[in-house]
Amino acid sequence: MVTHEEILNIANLAKLSVSPEELDELTKDMNEIIGFADTINAACPQASDFDNINGLSNAFREDIVVPSYDREEILKNAESRDDGYFLVKKRM
Amino acid sequence: MTNYELVCGLETHIELSTNTKIFCSCTTEFGGDPNTHCCPVCIGLPGTLPKLNKRVVEYAIMAGLATNCEISRVSKMDRKNYVYPDLPKAYQISQYDMPLCKNGWVELSNGRKIRLTRIHIEEDAGKLVHQRGGTYVDYNRGGVPLIEIVSEPDIRSIDEAKEYLEKLQLIMRFIGISDCKMQEGSMRCDVNISMRPMGTEKFGTRTEIKNMNSFAHMAKAMDYEMNRQIDLLQSGEAVVQETRRYNEEDDCTESMRGKEDAHDYRYFREPDLVTIQVSDEIVNELKDKLPELPQKKAKRYMEDFGLPEADALLLTQYRKISEYFEAASKGVKNPKTVANCMIGQIFSRLEGDGAKENFAVKVTPENLNALVRLLDDGKIRMNLLKTTLEKMLDTGKAPSELISENDMGGVDPGALKAACEQAIAANPNAVSDYLGGKEKALKAILGAVMKATRGRADAMEVEKLLVQLIKK
Ligand SMILES: [Zn+2]
Repeated sequence: MVTHEEILNIANLAKLSVSPEELDELTKDMNEIIGFADTINAACPQASDFDNINGLSNAFREDIVVPSYDREEILKNAESRDDGYFLVKKRM
Repeated sequence: MTNYELVCGLETHIELSTNTKIFCSCTTEFGGDPNTHCCPVCIGLPGTLPKLNKRVVEYAIMAGLATNCEISRVSKMDRKNYVYPDLPKAYQISQYDMPLCKNGWVELSNGRKIRLTRIHIEEDAGKLVHQRGGTYVDYNRGGVPLIEIVSEPDIRSIDEAKEYLEKLQLIMRFIGISDCKMQEGSMRCDVNISMRPMGTEKFGTRTEIKNMNSFAHMAKAMDYEMNRQIDLLQSGEAVVQETRRYNEEDDCTESMRGKEDAHDYRYFREPDLVTIQVSDEIVNELKDKLPELPQKKAKRYMEDFGLPEADALLLTQYRKISEYFEAASKGVKNPKTVANCMIGQIFSRLEGDGAKENFAVKVTPENLNALVRLLDDGKIRMNLLKTTLEKMLDTGKAPSELISENDMGGVDPGALKAACEQAIAANPNAVSDYLGGKEKALKAILGAVMKATRGRADAMEVEKLLVQLIKK
């Protein structure tokens, strides 16, 4: 069972604030998601490698430079910017 | 009073000198205007997909092979989650439980082996500039490939830590996978430190000093932190396990509070990247590509050429130096002469480590080789070799352009004797000083002879002849 404390901890790590009303809802959702994964695991215990169901490996790229994007494009969606930099709130 | 022993392990981050970033085709070039080496992948836009640079895997395997690691045949990438503006995705793609390389070691000059736990690949973060108005973010460095080399806590002194790091630097430069410039940030390390009473086995509580970017800072930070922990232990207080940073201005380490909760990284497999499989073929291919490593090279120089250890180490400091030395000593009777020319005369023309690393000197190895061969063939003497080399270093000319046929073959014995007699006659004071027991007085007469023969005579021979003539 996922507890309120665990949800609050995860929210804290993700820098999200969770109101008391949301907490119940989120805990319920998370329990359902985990429960769903448990159901799948129980249904097919021998197929353990769900991490890599397609069985693919070694999809590599050659080390050849392609021109980067124009800086305007890169910064286009930035909420705040200055002098070619993204500008974010200071946090330490 | 109890004596304490240092227990230290290093986590070293090294930027790989690939052309492109680890998961996109942006350039890895250092510098550049902010956010000009970026694309949707490396600024973490939703919907983009990473694609692994093959050379990153190859370089990391080479690093593993050069440090005696086992190469994992199956490996994968994982997400390391933390929220900080230097990571646009809020996670770093790294490797958690299946690193590419593990169980290696690096040997120090005192014979101790520092074991390596693992080497894994990951992406570098962006650069933050904190200013009053806020934090300025440049993602040019974001996504540049790194290897992280994690050592076991086998280091027992500051000197060992420095040497270990120097060895890593040397090896990685030699195999050509990184320039390992600490001042540019392409090599940096975190130092884990704990102290224990001398003679005990159990580890004490450790602290981690983050992001050391120079050898000098690392030594100072370690010194401070060791003393801080000893003071705590001696006064019966506990060392708190925490992350600390080195404060250059005050030369101390200080706690980085508030980062504690960030240690819960919630690693999980990176679902956007497939498994990495490394075949024996690939490993063998890369093994063949690996150059002779500096430690082995130095040993060979000592054993085969009779070089003193200090000289052998100087000549294997950078790859270009050893390549030059090997080219210049091809076929010469005594490679020691070449070594002396390089260390004595050529090195003094190079200022700083950067110059040594690039080893851009006016004299080609072929021309130095030709010069030393003239000595081998008895055509010139050591002093003429030295003065000619200086001229070659000034002009870049070949020895054949600087030494005439006349100069070769040394000095006719009759002419040499005459020159000696003349010098003795011209320096009566020096002669009587010498006969009176002042051995140094001979130098003045010797100098006169060398001048008269324009440096072509062999100094040792002249000295012998002078003594003979004076004592007659
Ligand atoms: Zn990119």
